[in-house]
Amino acid sequence: MAAIVGGLFVGVLFGFVLQRGRFCMNSAFRDAILLKDNTLLKSVLVAILVAMVGFALLATAGLVKISPSGFFWGAHLVGGILFGVGMVLAGGCASGITYRIGEGVVSAFAAAIGLTIAGSLTMFGFLKPIKDFLQKSTTIKVGDANPTLANIFGLDHTLVAIGLAVIIGIIWLVIALNNKEKPEKKVDVPLFTAIFKKGWGWLAAGISVGLVNVLAFYLSTLAKRSYPLGITSGWVGLAKLTIGFEEVKEGVATKYALGFGDYLIVGIILGTLIAALIANEFKIRWPGWATIGQTFGGGLFMGFGAITSGGCNVGHILSGIPQLGIGSILGGISIVIGAWVAAYLIFVRRNA
Amino acid sequence: MSDVVVPTKTLNVCGKICPYPDMDTMTSLKKMNKGEILEVLLDYPLSVERIPRNLTKQGHRLISVENTGGPNHRMLIEAHGLK
Repeated sequence: MAAIVGGLFVGVLFGFVLQRGRFCMNSAFRDAILLKDNTLLKSVLVAILVAMVGFALLATAGLVKISPSGFFWGAHLVGGILFGVGMVLAGGCASGITYRIGEGVVSAFAAAIGLTIAGSLTMFGFLKPIKDFLQKSTTIKVGDANPTLANIFGLDHTLVAIGLAVIIGIIWLVIALNNKEKPEKKVDVPLFTAIFKKGWGWLAAGISVGLVNVLAFYLSTLAKRSYPLGITSGWVGLAKLTIGFEEVKEGVATKYALGFGDYLIVGIILGTLIAALIANEFKIRWPGWATIGQTFGGGLFMGFGAITSGGCNVGHILSGIPQLGIGSILGGISIVIGAWVAAYLIFVRRNA
Repeated sequence: MSDVVVPTKTLNVCGKICPYPDMDTMTSLKKMNKGEILEVLLDYPLSVERIPRNLTKQGHRLISVENTGGPNHRMLIEAHGLK
């Protein structure tokens, strides 16, 4: 019950925020390089900082347990880079392709199918040995724990998380104050229009994504999942249900039952649909077969990459880095490297 | 006003998402002569907001953005002539 209600509720909120905030991590990394536009990148950084503080406070209150991804450097590098390449081909990151289904973007649906197929094959199909090898041969632990920026120095998690967030915040503020950017033109519109009709600014979008993630961590803990937002495993869960996958639990073969992460996916698509309908931005968009093929292929890379690396852009960058996980930091950097290489090859060289 | 402007070239990126509407628009503009008009047809909300923000940085001039129903937009841009 906690899984259904919590997953759907957080999903709907997340989908709504993603659609209104135009939150797109694929664009965030690429824009900064190709278009010299770091608007979305600032949004991502805000979301990380809000989650970093929020997670630490929840953990201190004993409401959640910090549970960073494992650290297996080989798998993070290979999986992350492939994921990054895939997301450029697919036209969106894992959260991007998921929420755009609710906007009626057919190519996003094709990418999600690709992600689900490759993700499933990597989780429990013929690609599993590759993932297992990459993960097991390069795993590094701190004692029994997965390494974080706090525990490798033997420091308290809350102290490091909040300290780091404050330091980054101050540095950023100083840079922003020195770098007198012209503030964006403010247009006065009624609150309803600002929230439901116009795209949100980067700050509002970043804070909202961060807060939804904090709520996700708490509610998923109530549902005994204990991880903030994540996308790929939810899709794989939906695939398991579709094919009637059976798991052996305590010696008995049990049909796979949907969990928090799976309902999250359904909720995201619903939330986006609601937001898009209100804003009159819903439309079935057919891009032609060539694009469908390309995004499906991109999805395949993303699925293999995310499961191998132990997280997609959401699991690593939005949820793992705020928990200070070293694995997520490397996984996140690898995704960015893969995306930049692919964007360079596709856009810069093509136009040279 | 916008119906008086005759586009030199039309780019239809409907159905395309992240990053293609932006990149295709910028690439097309780069290949055009100064003063030529590019008409962009698009239905991706993020690009509708982002393209105007970025093209001025390259020196191009946005003539108009027109909502042609739902998420569909028609954008007219005057190229700066970077060729």
